[in-house]
Amino acid sequence: MTTMDAQPLLQAHGLVKRYGGLVAIDHVDIELRAGTITGVIGPNGAGKSTLIGLIGGAVVPSAGSITLVGRDVSRLPASERARAGIGRTYQIPRPFLDMSVEENLEVAQYSIAPFIRAAAARDEREALLARTGLADVAGLTARALPLLRRKRLEVARALALKPRVVLLDEVGAGLVDSEITELIRLIHSILDAGTAILIVEHVIRVVRECCSRTMVLNFGKPLIEGPTADILGNDQVAAVYLGTGGTRETQAAGALAPATDRAIHVGAAEAETKVLAPLIAPAPAEAASAPALQLAGICAGYGQARVLQGVDLTAQSGHAIAILGANGAGKTTLARTISGVIPPTAGALLIDGQDVSGRPPHQIAALGVAHCMEGRRIFSTLSVQENLLISARGTDAPTARSRLEAVYDLFPILAERRNHGGTSMSGGQQQMLAIGRALMARPKLVIFDEISLGLAPIVMDKLYDALALLKRARMTLIVIEQDVDRALALADHAYVLEHGMIALSGTPRQIADDPRLRHVYIGAAEDAATGFRKS
Amino acid sequence: MSEAVASCPHRFRAPGAGLVEVAVLVGALAVLWFAPDFAGDYWLQLGFRTFIFIALAQGWNLMAGSAGLVSLGTSCFVGLGAYVTFGLLNRLSLPLPLALLICAIAGGALAALVSPALFRLRGLYFTVGTLALAELLRLLMVIVSAFGGASGIFLQEDPPALPVLFRYALVVALIASLAMTLCARTRISVILRAVRDDEDAAAQMGVRPYRVKLGAFVLASALAAMAGGIQAVKLGAIEPYGMFGLQWSIDVLSMVIIGGVGMRLGPVVGALFAVALGEMLADYPELHIAITGAILIVLIRFAPHGVVGLGAKLPLTRRMPA
Repeated sequence: MTTMDAQPLLQAHGLVKRYGGLVAIDHVDIELRAGTITGVIGPNGAGKSTLIGLIGGAVVPSAGSITLVGRDVSRLPASERARAGIGRTYQIPRPFLDMSVEENLEVAQYSIAPFIRAAAARDEREALLARTGLADVAGLTARALPLLRRKRLEVARALALKPRVVLLDEVGAGLVDSEITELIRLIHSILDAGTAILIVEHVIRVVRECCSRTMVLNFGKPLIEGPTADILGNDQVAAVYLGTGGTRETQAAGALAPATDRAIHVGAAEAETKVLAPLIAPAPAEAASAPALQLAGICAGYGQARVLQGVDLTAQSGHAIAILGANGAGKTTLARTISGVIPPTAGALLIDGQDVSGRPPHQIAALGVAHCMEGRRIFSTLSVQENLLISARGTDAPTARSRLEAVYDLFPILAERRNHGGTSMSGGQQQMLAIGRALMARPKLVIFDEISLGLAPIVMDKLYDALALLKRARMTLIVIEQDVDRALALADHAYVLEHGMIALSGTPRQIADDPRLRHVYIGAAEDAATGFRKS
Repeated sequence: MSEAVASCPHRFRAPGAGLVEVAVLVGALAVLWFAPDFAGDYWLQLGFRTFIFIALAQGWNLMAGSAGLVSLGTSCFVGLGAYVTFGLLNRLSLPLPLALLICAIAGGALAALVSPALFRLRGLYFTVGTLALAELLRLLMVIVSAFGGASGIFLQEDPPALPVLFRYALVVALIASLAMTLCARTRISVILRAVRDDEDAAAQMGVRPYRVKLGAFVLASALAAMAGGIQAVKLGAIEPYGMFGLQWSIDVLSMVIIGGVGMRLGPVVGALFAVALGEMLADYPELHIAITGAILIVLIRFAPHGVVGLGAKLPLTRRMPA
């Protein structure tokens, strides 16, 4: 507050980043003042990491300028920006794995000061390692460090540059409460009168306790910017996290309306399901008794990071199940566990009553499970049609052709673009391709992981119309979604994940009305907001 | 620079390990320097060839093992060195050491000159680019009559005696090895490894990957040009097809792969291995090529870090990581 009149250390003006047809950052202005910490929050795919990349120099802006203490650095490569005093961390740590922790810091030290005295460099390293809690592992290779320590190494490496501007990309993700407290202390200790910090973070507590000002990004655009307490208490911000378009009231009403109201071809349900027939495997005879999918006490994770901590979930054949939860709650891990990409460490995974725990993904796929993965995973060197045909391998040509025609009926734009490169299309079209590709395997059950991520509302409408059609054709759908309203409008039953466990479950209406839902997404922000209003 | 050599205390290596290595190298030089007094011509020939290969392989290993640049352009710089040396000796009658020094500068300069174009090409395309460069230079020599055309050039003065050439080659191999020691034992080493492991993350740490790669390319090219110069003097006559032949590039590449890419001793072991194998099978040239091919296939499949990597895995000979 005291530095409001000072010239900002770093100033970005009119930043734009386009990837083909996709606009990741759309005219963002941001100012970082010395002695302050600025937060950037927003849902997945809002462009937060792209913003860090643009300021750090890893991403070349399509338009706009960045000035560091009056010097235009927009065209400088990452190495020169690092030398000019911008230090960044990576969301997914990228240490030099075969180097020791100390050597990782040496890279930064020796690159900015090749002739620094060895003793001085060593003292600096020791101080940094002590400050970031890595002193005891200084001699270990980075490969030996668990994820959380690697995150600290990211911070230590950035600090070894003695930066004036520090960019921290999701350093709090996956940390437990006590570690968050430590992290907050560390962030405050970095800050001095000559430093500015930018934090991109999903852990709202870090934002609340560190940042004086916060900006909310949505679809690459700044939605709102202001003092942190105001921002976290703002209803519009809550809406960004929970859903798109409209107020909560109308959306809640929409959730109760039958999905047919929103379908494209209203009143032709019979014809539609016939069109989709080549894509949907008939449910087995015993389907009436056994649920299409059942999870009992499923635990899973990556190496030492245990993400799922005993998840129970049931999906009846022909139902749509919504899986909700904040970033890092374990939604994608759940999807990957169901499709067999990661084996569960405990618990049972049943498909049509058959225990398939620990089976490899291709065997689970053969049972009729398709996984429409987060991030689309389109094969960029294949055309649209080739991308589709690849998941119909093993079928004869006429069958593949009939499925292809059905997908083209569902998404006519794909037929138009059939000979284009898979990733040359817009984000929404790519997502249609990803859905179409999942359907080409003629599955009984499809997992849709974040299909609306980063898409405009009108495109989301189209995708969800398609999902409604599939549901009416009696396909079992598992819908993992950030956009709560859309998922609840489609679902028969919803589960809310928090810290790898089911925090809430019930009918869409019960979930929508539950006050705990908002709490799961934006934490204790409401408490802060009420506190702020009182004062 | 001497401070930099000594002042890199590290938990993985004893302080002064660099000095030890330098001492060993200089000691080896001293012993080998007097080799012509007791060794016959046959051994001097073998030694000469080994030293030339060591110099080339050290440079190639620096590029591929430390900066991730796989080059098929060794022949380009060997040929350049040969022609520059002959030009300087024939036209200007410069003393050989000075000619070799200018050779090294010319090699480095050519590398710096073509790097803006070559470094635009990543991975495989860089490799193909270096190959094209060698072809380009060869055709230039063939077409331009001032360079002797397809029939080549003769050295006008008498080449020095074998013992002298042996010592020249020894010095070039020593320079190459000392340069690599410097790269591996000083703070340059962390910078090189950072660029090799994750170029983007290194840039974010303030490292300029372009300059690092350029440095490796220039150094390797200067060494190759020097080696080419001495080789040419020994031959007494050069022609484009031999000096710019792909065989140079292939030999050096297979040597380093056999010895161990990115391993400190890889180039030396590889060069010794290749020369020894060549001698053993000298009477069966076809068999030689076939056996080298088979060894390459087996090593790439089962020992990606080459003979040196294989040796380091044995418990008794466990040595420090390269």
